[in-house]
Amino acid sequence: MLLAEFQRKKRVISVRVEKTELTWSKTSRRCPGDGSVTGSEEERRTMADDTTKTDVQIPVTTDVKTPRPKKAPELPILERRNWLIHLHYIRKDYDTCKAVIKEQLHDTRGMCEYAVYVQALIMRLEGKIQESLELFQSCAILNPKSSDNLKQVARSLFLLGKHKAAIAVYNEAGRLNQKDWEINHNLGVCYIYIKDLKNAEERLNAALQQNKHDLTFMMLGKMHLLQADTEKAIEVYKSAVEFSPENTELSGTLGLLYMQLGKYQKAFEHLGNALTYDPNNFKAILAAGSMMQAHGDYDVAMNKYRVAAHAVPESPPLWNNIGMCFFGKKKYVAAISCLKRANYLSPFDWKILYNLGLVHLTMQQYASAFHFLSAAVNLRPRMSELYMLLAVALTNLDDAENARRSYEQAVQTDESDPLVNLNFAVFLYNQDDKKAALLQYQEMERKVNAQVENNSNVEFDPEMVEMAQKMATALQVAETVYWNKAGKDGKNAQRSSSNKASRSQQPLGTNQTLGQAMSSAAGYSKNIQNTAEAEVNAPSPPPDPPGDPDDDDHDVDETPETAKLKEKKRKVKAAAE
Amino acid sequence: SSVAQEIKDTSVGRSKWLDAHYDPVANLYTFTSCIALSDLHGDGDNKLVVGDLGTGVCNMKLKVYRGTGLLSESTLLDLPTGLVSFLMDLHEPRTPAIAVASGPFIYVYKNLRPYFKFTLPSLEVNPLEQDVWSQAKEDRIDPMTLKEMLEGIRDKAEIPLSVKSLRYLMLDLQEMEAFVHLHKDQPIRRQTVITCIGTLKKNMADDDAVSCLVIGTENSDIYILDPEAFTILCKMSLPTTPTFMDVTGQFDVEFRITVACRNGNIYILRRDSPKPKYCIELSSHPVGLVRIGRNVVVGCTHETLHGYTQKGKKLWTAYLPAPVTTMALMDLPARAFQAVLVALANCEVHMYRDKNLICTIKTPDVVTSICFGRYGREDGTLLMTTKGGGLIVKILKRTAVFDDKDSAPGPPIAQSIRLNVPKKTKLYVDQTLRERENAVAMHRAFQMDLSRLRLATARAYVKALESSLTPVSESPTEPLKMNAVVQGLGPSFKLTLNIQNTAACRPVMNIAISFLYDEHLYSMKTAFFKIPLLVPGLNYPIDTFVECLSDKGISDIIKVFVLREGRSAPLLTAHINMPVSEGFALN
Repeated sequence: MLLAEFQRKKRVISVRVEKTELTWSKTSRRCPGDGSVTGSEEERRTMADDTTKTDVQIPVTTDVKTPRPKKAPELPILERRNWLIHLHYIRKDYDTCKAVIKEQLHDTRGMCEYAVYVQALIMRLEGKIQESLELFQSCAILNPKSSDNLKQVARSLFLLGKHKAAIAVYNEAGRLNQKDWEINHNLGVCYIYIKDLKNAEERLNAALQQNKHDLTFMMLGKMHLLQADTEKAIEVYKSAVEFSPENTELSGTLGLLYMQLGKYQKAFEHLGNALTYDPNNFKAILAAGSMMQAHGDYDVAMNKYRVAAHAVPESPPLWNNIGMCFFGKKKYVAAISCLKRANYLSPFDWKILYNLGLVHLTMQQYASAFHFLSAAVNLRPRMSELYMLLAVALTNLDDAENARRSYEQAVQTDESDPLVNLNFAVFLYNQDDKKAALLQYQEMERKVNAQVENNSNVEFDPEMVEMAQKMATALQVAETVYWNKAGKDGKNAQRSSSNKASRSQQPLGTNQTLGQAMSSAAGYSKNIQNTAEAEVNAPSPPPDPPGDPDDDDHDVDETPETAKLKEKKRKVKAAAE
Repeated sequence: SSVAQEIKDTSVGRSKWLDAHYDPVANLYTFTSCIALSDLHGDGDNKLVVGDLGTGVCNMKLKVYRGTGLLSESTLLDLPTGLVSFLMDLHEPRTPAIAVASGPFIYVYKNLRPYFKFTLPSLEVNPLEQDVWSQAKEDRIDPMTLKEMLEGIRDKAEIPLSVKSLRYLMLDLQEMEAFVHLHKDQPIRRQTVITCIGTLKKNMADDDAVSCLVIGTENSDIYILDPEAFTILCKMSLPTTPTFMDVTGQFDVEFRITVACRNGNIYILRRDSPKPKYCIELSSHPVGLVRIGRNVVVGCTHETLHGYTQKGKKLWTAYLPAPVTTMALMDLPARAFQAVLVALANCEVHMYRDKNLICTIKTPDVVTSICFGRYGREDGTLLMTTKGGGLIVKILKRTAVFDDKDSAPGPPIAQSIRLNVPKKTKLYVDQTLRERENAVAMHRAFQMDLSRLRLATARAYVKALESSLTPVSESPTEPLKMNAVVQGLGPSFKLTLNIQNTAACRPVMNIAISFLYDEHLYSMKTAFFKIPLLVPGLNYPIDTFVECLSDKGISDIIKVFVLREGRSAPLLTAHINMPVSEGFALN
C-alpha cells in the first residue's frame, strides 16, 4: 500500500516539475547579465534544468523540449531529508519523525545512514534497546569511519549491561576520534560498573581535561564515594560547583557530603545555594530542613517541608522529619500521625520506629513505645541508644529485670556516649544497687573525660550535668569531671537563661552535638512535660550512619532523626526517677 | 470560531498582546527557518512569506500572507529547508528578494517571480569510482563485478560514493543491468544538500544594506555567496552538519557565524578563519539558537535554556517546564527592547530576558514556528504557526511594559498548601489515656499472651514433627515431598498424590502408602498399595478413587500415610479435607 502511495506521489511531483520548469527556463533568460562571473554560466544552465533531469551538457532552452524518455531520471540525494528528520527528532515529535524516516528508508532501501541512526535513537528511547543496537550496528556498516555510530553501538551495549563489550567498542570509537570527552566519560562509567575504579578514575579525569561537563564531575564524585573516599569526592564536587554554580544537583550533593562530615556551616551554604536556584529541590529541602529543625527553627523547616510534601507526597523520610517537627513544637498527636504515616510507607525503617518510640515515651504511652522500640531493636540490633530507650520503657512498665538486661546490652555496645551510663547509674541507684551504680557513674566520668581530651571545646548539656551532679551527691563521690572545673555558676546561669537562647546563638555546625545529647539527661529533676519541652538538641553528626551511604536521599533523613533521638534520652532520665 | 473566542477570553485583562488573527486551519506545515517578514513590494507594507512543506512529501508551496489573507501561492519543487528575505542589489525601488533553500538549490524570487537558481558546487568524485563506471560504460565489467567493486570502494575510500553508485548498490540483481544501461552515460556527480540558510550584510550595517547569503550544507561546509553574482565568496568547514545558524557583522569588515550542529555542539566562526574559532559543547541537542546582543541563547532538548557569551563561556541556565519546540528573537528597535521567544511543547510561548521569564503567552496549540517583527504596518507583531497547521497573529500593545524582574513567583506556591495531617479524634485520645493509666497491665497482658502464643506454636510444631504431618519429609534417607489433589463433584472423587524424591541422587525404595478414613463415609478400592522406586527429582502422580457413601452432605478427612517398610512411624502424613459430595444432593 505504501509503495503505491509513494509512486502516486512521485507522479504528482513529476507533473508539477514540468510546469515549474517552464517558469524557471523562462526566467533564466532574464537572469542577471553578468557573464564575466565564473559559474554563472553553469548556474543558468542548471536553472533551466528541472529536477528530473541532470544532463548538463545540453544547452539551456533547447533542452527543455527534448523528449523525456531518453533521459535518465534524476537520482534523489540520499541525505536530502536528513535535516527534516533531525528537526523533528530534536523537537521530540517522534511520530512525525518516524513517518519521515519510514518514507526515507523506503525511498533509499535502508541505505540512508542518518535515517537509520535516528530510528535507532528513537527505538532506544522507547526501550527497544536490542533493536536499536542492531540498527546502530548496521549504521556502522554503512559508515565504518564514523565514531558516532560506534559510540551509539557502545551506548546500547552499555544499556544492555554488556559493559565489557561496550568498553571494547568505545575504545574503537576512541581510535577514530581522539578528542571526544564523551567517549572517555562513558568509558569511565563502564569501568565503574565493572568495578575497575582505577581505570574509571583515569578515564573520567581524561574526559574532564578534554572538556568539563557536570555529568563527568558527578560520575567522578560518585566513584570516589564508592571507594568511601568522601574527602576526594568533596574535592571533585567543589570544583564542579565552581565550574557550574547553578547546577542544583551538584551543590545539593556537596551540601549532603559536608553534612555527613559534620561540617554544617558549609553544608548549609551549599544547600542554600541549591535552594536559591531551585526552590523545589527535594533533596536540598530535606537536608536543609533537617538542619533547621536541629536548631529549633521548626516553622521555617515546616515551610520547606510543605513544598517538599507537595512535590513528593509519599516520602518516608519527609514524613518522619515533619513528624519530628511537630514533636519539637509539642504537637504530639500530629507528630504521631505523621510518624505513623512514615512508618506505613516504610515499615522497616528503624529510624522512624525509633522516633515513634521516643514520641510515645514522651506521651507516657510506654506499652506502645515498647513495641516500636523493640521493632527498631530487631531491625538494628547493635545500637546502644535503642537498648537504652527500651530499658527506659521497661522501667516504666515495672519490668526491672528486663530493663536491667537492656541497659547491660546498651552499655556493652556503647563506646562513647556517657548518657547511657548515667541513665544506667540512675536506674541502678533507684534499684538500691549503689555499688553497681557507682561503677556506671565512674564509667560515665571516664567517657566524659575522654571526650574533653579529644576536643576541649566539648560542651555538655546542662541538664545532664545537673543530673550527674545530683547523682554524685547521692553516691557520695568526689566530682572529678570536667564540668566541675569549668565552674557550676556559669553553667547554671546559662541553663536558667533557657537552653533555647544559648542554642540559637551557636553557629550551625559546631561540634557540640554530643554534649547536647547529654543535656537531655539532665531533665531528670523536672517533670516530664517540662523536659519534653526543652528544645531540640543540636544536630548530632550521624553517630552511626544508618545503612550504607548508598543513596543521597537516605543520608538526608539521618540527621533529623538522630537529633530527635537525643531528646528522647532526656525523657529517659525522667522515667528513671 | 469558538477557539478564537477562547483565546480572546484568556487574553483580556492584563495581557500585553492583542489577538489580531487566528486561523486554525491555515494548513501550514513549516519551521521557524522557513518563515520571514519582508517588504516584498517596497511599499512599507510587510508581508509574511512562508515556505510550506505541504504534506511533507508533496504540495510544497511558497505562500505570502498580507493582513489576514493569503496574497499569493506558488509551487515549490522540493521541501524548503530555509527561507530568507534579503536585499541583493542597490536598484530602486529597494525590494528585497526571497531565497528559498531546497535540496542542493537556492531559488531566488524577486517580486514573487522566479529570478535565479543557484546550485551548490559538486563535490569531489572518487577517481576509482569514475574508473569503475567508465569500465561499465564500455561494458567491460558485468553488473555483479561492478557491484562488488563499488562496495569495495565504499568500505575503504576517503571520498564517499556518488548517488548513482549508492542507488546502484541498493538494486536487486535483475534491475542492475537496466540501471547501468540507463545511467551509464551520465557523468558522476556528487551533490550535497542545504541544511540551513542565513544572511550577512556585505559592507554596511544599515537595515537596507545589501546582504550575502550564508548557507550550511549536509556536507558540513558553510558557504558565503555574493549577493549579485551568486559566486562563492568564502567557504568554511565544520566538524559536523550544521542545523541552525545565526550570522552577525559585515562580510567585508568582521563577522561571526554561530552554528548549532547535529552533534550537539555550537561552533562560532569568524572572518579569516576557515575553521571554527570557539566551540560550545552542550549536554543535549540544541533546538533553537538566538543571538541577543553579545550573547548566544540556546534552547536544548533537556528542557533547559542556556546563555553563553560569544566566546563560548556559559553564563546562565534556566529550566523550562516543557520541551522547546522553537525559538526566535524579539527585537523592538524603537524601544531598544530585545528578548528571546521560546515556544514550548505545553502550548506556551515564554519570553526571556537573560534568564528572567518576563512574559508567558498561552496558545491554543503547540507552536512550531515563530517570528516577531514588522507585519503590515505594525512594528510589534508576533506570528506563529502551530503543529495543527494554524496561523496566529498577535500584536504587542503599545502600552505594554515588561518588567525586567523575573515574573516567576518568589516562594513556591506549594509552601502555602496545608499539610494533610489527620485531626485528633476522641477515640484516639481515649485510647491514649487508657494506655497511660494501664500501661503496665497492658504490657503484662500482652507479654503473657505472646508467651502463650509462642508456646502454642511450638507445641503445634513439635506435634507436626512427631507425627510427620509436614508435607515434606526431612529424614536424611528418604527426603520426600508430597501433595494431594482431589478432583470431582462426587459421589466418586479422584485423589491424586504427587510424590517427589528430593534427594540429590539417591533413589528411594520400598515405600508404601496407606489411607485412613471413616469407613461409613467413604470407600476406597485399595486403601494400601506399594509405590515403585522413586528416581530423584521426578514427580510421581499416583491416582486412586474414593467413593462417598453418605447422602447427608457431610464430609470428613482422609489421612494419607507414606510408610517405609519395616518402620511403624510414617515418613509423611497428609490430611485431605474432602469436599462435600454434590452428587447425592442432586439425587
